[in-house]
Amino acid sequence: MTNVSITDAKDVREQIDPDAAVVPVRHWGRLLLSVVVALLVLQVFWSFATNPFIHWEVVASFLLAPTILKGLLATLEISVIAVVLSTVIAVVVAVMRMSKSVVLSTVAFGYVFVFRGIPLIVLLILVGNIGLFMKQVSLGIPFTDITFFSAPTNRIFTPFVASIIGLSLCASAYMSEIVRGGLLSIGRGQYQAAMALGMDGRQTLRYILLPQAMRVIVPPMGNEFITTIKMSALVAVIAGGDLLTVAQSISGVNYRTIEMLFVATFWYLAVVAASSIIQHFVERFTAEK
Amino acid sequence: MSEKREEMQNPVVEINGVNKSYGHHQVLYDIDLTVDRGETVCVIGPSGSGKSTLLRCINFLEEIDAGQIWVNDTLIGYRVANGRLHEMREREACKQRVDIGMVFQHFNLFPHMTALQNITLSPVLNKGVPKAEARAHGLELLERVGLKGRENHYPSQLSGGQQQRVAIARALAMKPFLMLFDEPTSALDPELVGEVLSVMRDLAKSGSMTLIVVTHEIGFAREVGDRVVFMDEGRVVEIGPPEKLLDSPKEERTKAFLSAVL
Ligand SMILES: Nc1ncnc2c1ncn2[C@@H]1O[C@H](COP(=O)(O)OP(=O)(O)OP(=O)(O)O)[C@@H](O)[C@H]1O
Ligand SMILES: [Mg+2]
Repeated sequence: MTNVSITDAKDVREQIDPDAAVVPVRHWGRLLLSVVVALLVLQVFWSFATNPFIHWEVVASFLLAPTILKGLLATLEISVIAVVLSTVIAVVVAVMRMSKSVVLSTVAFGYVFVFRGIPLIVLLILVGNIGLFMKQVSLGIPFTDITFFSAPTNRIFTPFVASIIGLSLCASAYMSEIVRGGLLSIGRGQYQAAMALGMDGRQTLRYILLPQAMRVIVPPMGNEFITTIKMSALVAVIAGGDLLTVAQSISGVNYRTIEMLFVATFWYLAVVAASSIIQHFVERFTAEK
Repeated sequence: MSEKREEMQNPVVEINGVNKSYGHHQVLYDIDLTVDRGETVCVIGPSGSGKSTLLRCINFLEEIDAGQIWVNDTLIGYRVANGRLHEMREREACKQRVDIGMVFQHFNLFPHMTALQNITLSPVLNKGVPKAEARAHGLELLERVGLKGRENHYPSQLSGGQQQRVAIARALAMKPFLMLFDEPTSALDPELVGEVLSVMRDLAKSGSMTLIVVTHEIGFAREVGDRVVFMDEGRVVEIGPPEKLLDSPKEERTKAFLSAVL
């Protein structure tokens, strides 16, 4: 076997038909596994489709119902506003965290610790019921009587607003760590070059650091956005008026609980799919260069 | 007439008794150095002797612990009022840096900007140069450093030597009167060193620019330097014209260093 003589090797070379296709290796195990998995998946679909307790015609009839679409719109509004708001807060908190002022960096640390630590559902219930322990919202100078603005809490903290604030507090805490990581990923040389050109801290952040940090920030940030969209379903606990809230309130009337959950599921998947596509293009855009 | 004479007499850079520590680790001891207008001063010395730190102190990228640095008769990093020194605000320190160019060992170009954008960014932001004018000047500078036609290249699309020449153009775009070079060629492949040195040589020979060059290129220091400074362990050991300091150094430490590198 190991001792192929020169004449043998020559024979083998001459035997090769240069025009014949290469015979591929057959992966029998893989093939078998594929068949089994495909059958299992089919079975799951089949059992859902033919399940006598699920009325698919009800699901279909509610998919485009005005109430559902209104809930979907609310979910989109809550998510988009929360995402924009928390991105802004995240940048501010990340920059504060890196500040030379001990007060600022400690406050930023505390913010991240608190809002990353509180379970979102607890945070939402707290913010949603803030009227129970804070009757008035006012803006003024601390420890003085000077106020610029004051209003009853319940007028401002509608379930919609409370949902946005709750989600933003949580998401911004996570995002600020992502932003900070992005800023830390930029070498000292970039700061020094910017400083040597006479640029101040604000200019350096805006023109040098953030654009470069984007590349590191965008992929996890995209995931954070999608997570926020899904987390927005939790605002149903304070009747945020979102997709899940309306789906549940409809099922409270028609008792089609499962069907209404499928309607909500369909829309959540659709929104997440759309976001993933957007994320893909944004990533490709920032990854260039 | 008299004003001009005065200007001639006053050095561009005057470093008096500068000390600098990082924590408990002192890196600069009682540095004294003056650099005249139009002069090219080369700084040599072993690794860790504080050459880069000294350069960074000159444009206040680092604070000093004692001593003074005067550039063009203004104190760097501090304001004098009522006979006392006041720390400068960031904005004022930035203003001072605008007129001092710096070129780094690792180029430090902004990777998300094209060569031309790298060059025009700060003149537009900090010198109020109109965009079109900055662009035209930028293209001129690129041609001057031998990079005509590369204005739309990103740093990653340029060789090390080309990147360093863009970095020089970027510093020149601020129209500085003083240029600081920190080992501009030591991160380059040997065959690329020449192109960068030749740009620097032209700059030094133009006579209008004052240059302080930290370098390991003894040949460059000999040819282009008006004076050479040898630093070791945070001190200026010896200063002299290149032929004197390089060929017949007075100090033992200078001799030892030169015999090791030559
Ligand atoms: N940011 C910093 N923090 C703490 N120590 C530093 C810092 N920068 C430099 N040092 C220390 O200061 C000393 C002088 O460093 P410096 O970079 O000025 O030396 P150098 O002469 O430029 O050396 P090289 O030829 O290797 O560039 C070194 O011991 C270095 O470890
Ligand atoms: Mg150095």
